[in-house]
Amino acid sequence: MKNPLSGRIIGRVISYVVLALIGLAGIAPFVYLLILSFKTRLDVLTVPPDLHFDWSTIEENYRTVIHDQHYVTFVVNSIVVTGLSTLIALALGVPAAYAFSRLRFRGADTWASTILSFRFMPPIAVAIPIYLMIRSLGLVDSRVGLILPYVAFSLPLVIWIMIGFFDEIPREIDESAMVDGLTRPMVLLRVLLPLARPGMLVAATFGVIFVWNEFLVGLYIVNSSDKETIPIAASSLLTVESPIDWNIAATVGVLTVIPILIFSMVVQRYIVRGITAGAVR
Amino acid sequence: MLGPAALYLVAFSIYPLITSLVRSFQDYNQTKATWRWIGFRNYEDLFTSSEFWTVVKNTLILMTAGVSIQVVAGTALALFFNQNLRGSAIVRGILILPMLLTPIVVGLMWRALLNPQWGLLNWLAVKMGLGYVGWLSDAHVALWTLVLVDSWQWTPFVFVVVYARLQALPQEVFEAGSVDGASWFQRTRLLTLPLLMPAIVFAAIFRGIDAFRTFDLVYGLTNGGPVQATSTLSFEGFQNGFEFQRYGYASAVSYVMVIAAAIGITLLLRVVRVRRMDVAT
Repeated sequence: MKNPLSGRIIGRVISYVVLALIGLAGIAPFVYLLILSFKTRLDVLTVPPDLHFDWSTIEENYRTVIHDQHYVTFVVNSIVVTGLSTLIALALGVPAAYAFSRLRFRGADTWASTILSFRFMPPIAVAIPIYLMIRSLGLVDSRVGLILPYVAFSLPLVIWIMIGFFDEIPREIDESAMVDGLTRPMVLLRVLLPLARPGMLVAATFGVIFVWNEFLVGLYIVNSSDKETIPIAASSLLTVESPIDWNIAATVGVLTVIPILIFSMVVQRYIVRGITAGAVR
Repeated sequence: MLGPAALYLVAFSIYPLITSLVRSFQDYNQTKATWRWIGFRNYEDLFTSSEFWTVVKNTLILMTAGVSIQVVAGTALALFFNQNLRGSAIVRGILILPMLLTPIVVGLMWRALLNPQWGLLNWLAVKMGLGYVGWLSDAHVALWTLVLVDSWQWTPFVFVVVYARLQALPQEVFEAGSVDGASWFQRTRLLTLPLLMPAIVFAAIFRGIDAFRTFDLVYGLTNGGPVQATSTLSFEGFQNGFEFQRYGYASAVSYVMVIAAAIGITLLLRVVRVRRMDVAT
């Protein structure tokens, strides 16, 4: 006779084992990278890696990357480029999304779809002309040269996300504010922006993720190391063909993951909200 | 209010896209930096080159195999997490991470795990009696390794979308089902999965378009090799454009992609209405 209670307990245990395995599959590559970054060049070759760590090795690896390879410069570049691109994309995208949401003009939906479709265009299709354009503008090797295309890449998503959030705010709110004598732009600025703040955070989160990781276009726009963002720098430090010291490569990897880790903990709920926008109805 | 965003997109999205189209009918002379009109020759070269068809095949395999795995595994994860086990919130947090990661670092991590000499996975494969696997060096295996790593990174996306939908379903449906004595499998197959379908379809098309554009993972993991075994359309366009400076040919490659992507986007827009998206919270 099967005992239903013990059957349920076994089921639970299996569930928790599966849960642990899922977590392990997700995190193991990160842990492995971290372990490698604690090793000397030769110790990397030991499989499986032993878990004795030497503080001076760790210090040396991280000092090499942070100090000798000017990692801080890349972090600063990434923050400046990501921050400015995202801000400009919001400044352009939010009013546009408001217009799409509130003003009934001819072909509004077609235009909105067209803008959204840019989000899904293969970047390589515009990468070459954009590179040639930036080059002819004399902006190669400058932060502006990166920011200009990055704004264009994040703008469609910002508009898309914001239309959704503005549509959720009842029109009566605008109308009563306009009865009180506010103009449309003032309504947006004074009344709707505070209400749409969660939407702007979702939009900003996705803009940040995109720009922070972009390197297809950036790779050729920037070619001196003091203008490189983290992924561009990482890609030149870690290309498949160049010989690498794996402990140093792993250290670069860990230092690239840390800002993302912190960011994801702060904005996790906006990420989930943004991904599921449009999927649930 | 629409003006600034529209102007910006015209300058940095539409104009480059049109330039690409024009360039695809031209030939770039590197030494003189001039363009010459050559009609459909780039396209002729393209469609008669075996390299192009290899790359098309790779892209399609990556798309179909990768997205299938991700949809099945992501949906399974969503159903699994629906048990609301204790500690599952932490594992969900871990699962968000791979999606946010700089692709270069994803490549780095996995190149370490899959390293032929000291990588952890080969050690495990040998220990478990599977023998040595040329994950990245064997031309028959490398593309599947790419599928695997892509799935590690993007299964969580499908999971997040489907899970949000699952959480939003009315509980009464399931209660009625279990009162009627239906087993878990019957309830899942007949009740839950049909209700989840819109989210699954959305995630699949969204991932499909993104997988179609895969560039960074190839760049970070295999650089297209061995030979052409893991090159994708985006990577082919990138190599021809930026590395070999065959801008005209690369533009033709990317325009084939633009047209294919346009078809995918049209499909996606059937599923997602741009206006009136509901946002899951």
